[in-house]
Amino acid sequence: MWQGEHTAFAERSGMMETNSIYGDHLPEMKKVMNDIMSRVGDARKAMSERLGMDPVEHCLCRIKSEESMREKCRRRGLPETTESALTKIYDSIGIRIVCAFIDDVYAMVDYLKKFDDVCVAEEKDYIKRAKKNGYRSYHMILKTASGYYVEIQLRTISMDTWAALEHHLKYKKDIKENQDLIADELKRCADELASTDLSMQIIRNMIMGDLT
Amino acid sequence: MKIMLAEDTKDLNRAVCAVLTREGYSVDTAYDGEEALRYIIQDSYDVIILDIMMPKMTGLEVLAEIRRRHILTPVMLLTAKAEIDDRVAGLDAGADDYLPKPFAIKELLARVRAMTRRYTDFSGNKVSYDDINLSSDDLTLSSGNSVRLSIKEFELMHILIMNPDIELTTQYILERVWKTEPEADENTVWLYISYLRAKLAAVGSSVSISGSRGGSFKLVKQPE
Repeated sequence: MWQGEHTAFAERSGMMETNSIYGDHLPEMKKVMNDIMSRVGDARKAMSERLGMDPVEHCLCRIKSEESMREKCRRRGLPETTESALTKIYDSIGIRIVCAFIDDVYAMVDYLKKFDDVCVAEEKDYIKRAKKNGYRSYHMILKTASGYYVEIQLRTISMDTWAALEHHLKYKKDIKENQDLIADELKRCADELASTDLSMQIIRNMIMGDLT
Repeated sequence: MKIMLAEDTKDLNRAVCAVLTREGYSVDTAYDGEEALRYIIQDSYDVIILDIMMPKMTGLEVLAEIRRRHILTPVMLLTAKAEIDDRVAGLDAGADDYLPKPFAIKELLARVRAMTRRYTDFSGNKVSYDDINLSSDDLTLSSGNSVRLSIKEFELMHILIMNPDIELTTQYILERVWKTEPEADENTVWLYISYLRAKLAAVGSSVSISGSRGGSFKLVKQPE
C-alpha cells in the first residue's frame, strides 16, 4: 500500500517474513526509501521558504508487496528470487510525487538527480511524449550507491487524477459495452487537462511576474 | 467541386457551363432565380454563381433567401457594368465576390478558384503548418503529442497558421479574435500568445511564435 511521508518514517513493527522474496533486504530498502522521502521533504521546505509555495502537493511511497512482486516475476518469466526482485525489476521501491504545477515536476526531477549517491538508470518523459491513451507522467529510475533501484513517478495533480481513473478502466474488463467511448473520452480529457496544466503554469508565471 | 450557375442568357449559360465542366467542376445550371433557389435548397454546392438580372427572382433576391436560410456557400454575383448600386447591395447582402459583365472567362475561373480556396481554408477541419496540425473538429493542436485548446486559443492559432508570412499586430488579433469582447486588451493577447507558446512546446513542435507584448506576432520554424 502507498503511504504518505509521515508514516514512511515509522518503523513498522511485526515479524520479518523469513521467506520474503526480498530476503533480508527489507530494512535496508526501507532506509533507502525513507532517505529519498526526506530529500523530497527537504526540497519542499527549501522551495517553500524561497518561493512561498510548496512545489509538492503530496508524496507517497511503497515497497512493492510480496504478492505483486512475485506476480511480476512470473509475468516477466523471471525466477521468483531476491536477485530478480532487486536487480531485474526496478520498482521494488516506488515513490510518487504529485505537484500542483508542471514546472514544479521538472524542478523536482532536477533536484533528485543532483545527489552524488544516486545515478539515473532510466528516464522516461511521458509528459513530453504522452502515451497513446493520454497517460502523462515523468518516470525516473534511480540506482543508489548501495545498489538498490528506486522508481520515482512525478506528475501534476490533474495527471494523477486522470491516472487514477484510467487505472479503473484497466482493471474493470467487464465494461465492454462502452470501452471504446470511455477510452476516447479519457484521451480527450487527458489532452484538455494537459492544456489546462500549461495555462495554469502561465498564469502563475504572470502572477509571479516571470512572464517576459 | 460542385457549382450552381444561374444565368438567364442561354448562350452565356451554356458557354460558362462548358468551360467550368472542362476545368473539372461539376455544374448544375438554372435559367431563372426560382429554379436556382430550388437547386440550392435541395443540393449542396461549393460555389454559387448568380446573375443579378434574372426572371422570376433576381440574383439579389435569391442571395437574400439563401442567407436567410443560413446557407453559407460562397456566392459570386454577375453584374452589368452600370449596376454599381447592385454590387454594393449584393456584397452587403452576403455575396463573397462579384464579376462585372462582360468578363474574361480566365478571370471567372481565377475567381472561382480563389473562392473555393477560401472556402476550403475556412471550413476544412484541419490546417497545418510545418510540424503542427490544428483540427477544428475537436480543437486539438498536435505534433508528437496533442493538447486540446480553448476556443480563443484555437482561433488565435488558426489565424497565425492562416497568415504564415505576415506579422499580425496585436490590434489586428484583437479585432479578429476578440471582436465581441471590448474589455480584451494587449495583455489578453499576450497571455494567449504565452499559452500557445507553452502548448507548442508541450506537443513537441519545433514551431514557435515570434514577438513580444503589445507587438506583432508570427509563427516561425526553428532552423534545423
